[in-house]
Amino acid sequence: MTDFKALLRALADGGVEFILVGGVAATVHGSSRLTVDVDAVYRRTRENIDRLVLALTSYRPYLRGAPPGLPFRWDAATIKGGLNFTLTTDVGDVDLLGEITGGGGYDSLVPATVSIRVFGVECRCLTLDKLIEVKRAAGRPKDFEAIAELEAIREERKDRR
Amino acid sequence: MSHDAPSSLDAIIAAYKATLDQSLIRRSLQRTIEERLETLMQLQEFAEELRRAGRAVRVG
Repeated sequence: MTDFKALLRALADGGVEFILVGGVAATVHGSSRLTVDVDAVYRRTRENIDRLVLALTSYRPYLRGAPPGLPFRWDAATIKGGLNFTLTTDVGDVDLLGEITGGGGYDSLVPATVSIRVFGVECRCLTLDKLIEVKRAAGRPKDFEAIAELEAIREERKDRR
Repeated sequence: MSHDAPSSLDAIIAAYKATLDQSLIRRSLQRTIEERLETLMQLQEFAEELRRAGRAVRVG
């Protein structure tokens, strides 16, 4: 099980600049669909990568689905040398993304975020409109039902106004 | 070809939308973000328990 509280607190308390995207962002906006990991776009500055490394080190990140014993090191050099990381940690699964299809990186996504307060910490989450846009841009069949739900949520919210 | 014409993706999403339970959406929107995330963790736990039970049946 992924402990969303622990992961969000670790990132936020560690001062990591990140944006919630994917299933958890969908939950933030009202989705009832089951998601098992945290998807976050992180800012790829040297300082932020250092903060990201520090924030998650104690949870022992490792490549999800990879055989044990690979020479994977959770450090700034590894993150700088890659972009998107699909990880498992002691508190659950997290996808750390340098960029996403249809949205780009942290700096280009920031204008399309809302600040939320959850589990006692402040973090950024993609807006509902942008989340729908990037899921449509990704065009993955597994997302079609999720897009339908998100669009229905948007319509329901409009009706409530 | 018109760029304004609905794409086949729109048609697929509309088909999924027609099957959605609107009451579930309304109920979810009444919860706070924290409540939704807590529910999600409970759902994960439940799903994991079902998987464990399934494995036990297959092994037994």
